[in-house]
This record gives sequence, C-alpha cells and structure tokens, in this order.
Amino acid sequence: MLAGSSLVKRLTLMIMFAVIAVLVVAGMSFNVLSQHHFRLLDEQALSEKLESARHILSIQTPGASLEALRLQLRALLGAHQDLTAEILSSNGDVLFSDLKAVPIPDHYKRADQEAIWEWQDESHSFRGVTADVVIQGEQAPGTIMLMLDITSHAHFFETLQRWFAIGLVISAMVSAGLGWLVAKSGLRPVEQITKVATSMSAGSLQERIPLEPVPLELQALILSFNGMLARLEDAFVRLSNFSADIAHELRTPVSNLLTHTEVVLTRKRDLDAYEDNLYSNLEELKRMSRMIDDMLFLANADNGLITPQQVDIELNGLVSKLFEFYQLLAEDRDIRLTLQGKGIVFGDRLMIDRAVSNILSNALRYTPQGNEISVHIQQTEDKVTLTISNGGATIDPQHINRIFDRFYRADPARREGGPSNAGLGLAITRSIVQAHQGKVWCTSSEQMTAFHIAFPASRQPVGDRSRH
Amino acid sequence: MYTIGAQHMKLLVAEDEPKTGAYLQQGLAEAGFIVDRVLTGTDALQYALSESYDLLILDVMMPGLDGWEVLRMVRAAGKCVPVLFLTARDGVEDRVKGLELGADDYLIKPFAFSELLARVRTLLRRGTSSTTQTTLKMADLEVDLLKRRATRNGKRIDLTAKEFLLLELLMRRRGEVLPKSLIASQVWDMNFDSDTNVIEVAIRRLRAKIDDDFAPKLIHTARGMGYMMDEPE
Repeated sequence: MLAGSSLVKRLTLMIMFAVIAVLVVAGMSFNVLSQHHFRLLDEQALSEKLESARHILSIQTPGASLEALRLQLRALLGAHQDLTAEILSSNGDVLFSDLKAVPIPDHYKRADQEAIWEWQDESHSFRGVTADVVIQGEQAPGTIMLMLDITSHAHFFETLQRWFAIGLVISAMVSAGLGWLVAKSGLRPVEQITKVATSMSAGSLQERIPLEPVPLELQALILSFNGMLARLEDAFVRLSNFSADIAHELRTPVSNLLTHTEVVLTRKRDLDAYEDNLYSNLEELKRMSRMIDDMLFLANADNGLITPQQVDIELNGLVSKLFEFYQLLAEDRDIRLTLQGKGIVFGDRLMIDRAVSNILSNALRYTPQGNEISVHIQQTEDKVTLTISNGGATIDPQHINRIFDRFYRADPARREGGPSNAGLGLAITRSIVQAHQGKVWCTSSEQMTAFHIAFPASRQPVGDRSRH
Repeated sequence: MYTIGAQHMKLLVAEDEPKTGAYLQQGLAEAGFIVDRVLTGTDALQYALSESYDLLILDVMMPGLDGWEVLRMVRAAGKCVPVLFLTARDGVEDRVKGLELGADDYLIKPFAFSELLARVRTLLRRGTSSTTQTTLKMADLEVDLLKRRATRNGKRIDLTAKEFLLLELLMRRRGEVLPKSLIASQVWDMNFDSDTNVIEVAIRRLRAKIDDDFAPKLIHTARGMGYMMDEPE
C-alpha cells in the first residue's frame, strides 16, 4: 500500500501510527489497572464491614434487645452513603435492613463462599458480597448481604474513555504534523545527494559525492554510489582509451595506404607497378581487418560478452597439437620445444587453444636461436597451472605488468616490427583466461622469462569424475 | 566456368551494400560461377524460390527481410540449398541462431575474398564424392593416398605426416587459392589466425622437397592471399 508513495508520506504515516499505537496501549493499560485498583478498594471495604458485622453479631450479650443490636449495626453499616446491607436470620426473618437505593436481588441472597458479585440495573452498578453469619443465640447461621453502589466509578471510566478518544484524535493529528516535519528535515540529505547525482555527466565522472555532511545511515548509499561512479569512470576511460588505441593503430596502415596509392596514381605506370601497389594495399588491409577482429574480441571480452563453452580439455594434448604447428618455426630457428606434466581444465577448447598459442608465438618471437621453450603443466586440487618459460633477454620490471595491455610492446621501436604482430596477442590471452576465471602473469629474471596461466581445476569434483 | 561434375554452378548473392555486392559478383563470376545479385531480402526470397541455385550467399542485415527470415522461408518452402551467411556481428547467439535455422556456414565481415571463395567451394563440394580417389596426380607428381607416399618423376619423396596432409589438401583443390587460415585449419586444426609465419615455413619446406629439384614448379604463391597448386598450362 505504501510502495511507490513518497518517503515523507510514508514516514509521516508510520510515525502517526506508532504514536496512536503507543497511546492506545497506554490508555488500555491505565483503564485495566484502575479498574483493578477500584475493585481492590471495594473488596477491602466490603470485607472490613463484613468482619465488623460478624463481630457485632457474635458478641451480642444474651438478653440484650434486638433494638440495641440494630443500633449497633446501623452505626456500623448505615454511616456509609453507598452501602446497602441486609441481615437475615436462619429462618428468613429480616434481622436488619438498610436499603439505600434498590433492593438486593433475590438470587444474591444465598451465601456463596463470600464471593464478590457484581450487578447493575438501568442506571446503577453495584458490587456486593453475600456470606453466612453466626448469630448469637440462634442454632443455624444467618445470612448477611452487603452491596456497594459503584455507579460513580463507572461514570469515572466513561469520562476517562471519552477524553482519551478525543486526546487520541488530537495526538494523531499533531503526530502526523510533527512526523511530516521530522521526515522532511531528516530526508534533506537525500535531496542534496539527488542534486549532486543530477549534475553528474560523462565529463564529471571523476567527481564524488562528499561523505562528511551526510548522516551515518546514508554513507553506505553514498559509498556504493561513489563506487558505481568509479566503475563507470573506469569503463569510460577504458572505452576512450580503446577508441584512441584504435584510431592510433589504424592511422599507420591507413596513412601507408593513402601515401602509396596516391604516389602510384600521380603518373601513368606499367601494370606491374599497379599490381605491386594493390598487393601492398592488400597486405595492409589484411592487417587492419585482423586488428578489427582482435579488437572486437577484446571489446566483447571487456563487456563480458564472450561466453566460453564448457568442456573438459586435456592440456597436454592441446599443447602437443600447438607444438606440432609451431615445430616448423622452432626448427627453423633451432629452438627446442619441451612439454611435461598434464592437467584437465573446464572451458572452451578454441579459446584456450588461442590463449596458449598467443603466448607460444610470443615466446618464439623473443627466444634467441638455439634456446629452449619449455611448457610445464601442473594439476593441483583446485587449479591447473600452465607455465611457458623460455630463455632470452630479461623483461624490464617496468614493462612486465603492462605486457598484457593491448597494443603494449616492451620496445616502442618495435611498433612497426612484425607485420602481423599488432600487440594484441597477450591482451587476448588475458581476456580469455579471465573469461575462464583464471589468472595469467609473467615473471622474468636472470635471462629467463616465464608466462604462467592458472585455471581453476575442472569444476566437477574429482570423486565425481572417477565414477563416470 | 566453375563446374563440379560437369555442371555449371549458380549462386545467388544477396547483399544490400551495393559496392560489396558488386565486387562479390565480379569476383565469383571471374572464379567461374554464374552469379545473380539482389539488394534486398524480399528480392532474395523471390529469386531463391523461383530459380534453382547451388548456393545462397545472404547478408544478415538487409532491408525488407533479413537474412534469417529469408533462410527460414526458403527452408519452409522445402529447399535444402546450402546457405552461407555474411554478418557484421559475431555474437555467439547470432551463430547459434543461424545454425539452428539451417545455415551451412558464416563469415564475419570484414573477410578476405579468398576466404569466401574457399568456403564457397567447400560448401559446393560437400556431398559430391571425390574422396574415392586413391591416387592424386599432377604433372609427374604422384601421391598415393593409401600408402601415404609421394613420388615425383619416379623418385620417392620423404614427407612428414603434416607435409603429406598439406600436399594432399593442395592437390585435391588444385587451381584454387587456399588462404593460410584455411590451410592452418585443415592441416593443423588451428581454427584461429595465428600471427606467425608457420604456413610460409611449411610451404617453403614442402617446396624444397616437391619443387626445388624438379620442373615444372607446381606450388604457387598468390601474393597476399594464399597458395595453390597447379600445372602450368
């Protein structure tokens, strides 16, 4: 019912309901307690009178006149304004009667173990007691009835309830008003946050909402909001860098294409020259096309859009197959390829193929002639590590962390180096490994460089697998 | 004329980008195919249903009906002509959708024409039985597929397993320019572009064994596109 309505309205209503609930509970408790208190007072008065009357009746001296007894009783019972009393002898004769307002109803005239009874007619309420009484000089016990008029109590409660109801309505209205004020002022920080959030734009993503003037409860909200801004900024910066990278990387081939084509077209040439130009253009265009493919793959990976298939992959076999492919290149450069260990990962065969292949081709590119590239696979309880190490120049620590960044080349002079090497291979490897919840890192020291890929071990529990 | 089993192959190209479409038509026509070209999905459907084609090349994004729709309706009409999709998007769900609808292959733009040509020929070859051959011959080069042996001019040539596979692929598809990616995929099962010159090295080695000491030269380089084997005419 409150969903969607304004927070101020909500809080106001809640405060109002809370106040009403508290007042009702307090009023009801007061009512019950006072009723109980009055009853106790009445009972006390009745039992006192009862005891006194019994005393008088029991110590009556033999031979004393009935009149003297009545006088004594009247002195005891008649003085009380609201008290009605009647004493019957054992044979039903009225021994004493002091009726104030109404006669005592007949069915209360039997003794009932001194129980307190209540009774009311149209305009009056009564509380009374009926008890047996020993009368001196008579064989069987008589009956004594005492009845208090408690109409004034009832009046008191009626008045109390009426005033309580009026008080309740007034309190409800006042609490609603106060609640509205409290909610309004309590929510002012939210309005301020809203104002800041409204003023945010792509250009001001580095701004953060200040924490200081904000109440404690809202700080979590601000923190998560600022966190969201940070992530947005990060994504935005990456996107801008991505665009800048593309522009930068495409500039070289496009400028080659432009220059070459224009130069060729400046004057008439023989067919071979045109053909040569077209072939050269083709090579540039292929490089660009490949770069676009790779960039798209990376963009999709950045946005979490690559979803690897999930199959068990035996890494030893996968690397062996890659070795078959790269063997020719390795032999050409007198590099030995060695492989040891085995392990099973759960993932996409084509992607993992590509990830490992990129590292291998990178290693082949930088390993000096006559050296060795060794692949070591290690399977433990919870992960599978694949290490590709090769001898060669140590990578400077300042480069090692950035080696997986796209378009990053340790040696900027090599930028135009390999015609097909766009500097995206390792970035793609990292994206693939991350899409598999794995980690890839590089260590390099003492003329030895190693790339490590750690995949989580196949998700099926080991015991489960053995059963299949 | 490109023929398989002495039959002219007729293709339909549906591509809304006029320049791309025109170049595709020219390239495929020069490769020996009879090519009809349309610019919209509606036309593509009409042509595909009224004429008999050996292969449909459909762009996914087209005005009128998109490629998926055309394929669906062509299949609904009971035609099982092979279909190759051209798409600018490489979302996995796109591929799945295409394959579910019964597409036979897809190429993501930008693609190399040599790649397209190779795929088209593969699709057209599918179903025709050329695998019953046990020996392949080209000039004085003979390849025995059962004994896995190659001889040239009567001289035995020692080949590694991969070299033999490479030679077999090139000979089976004589006269066709095979892109490096296709060679990598068919011979080494490398189904992605490797940024290395492994294929160049492999071809160089095969040449050293097959061509270097002999004439005529059979392995040819199509610069920037790939390799092919053929006898000089």
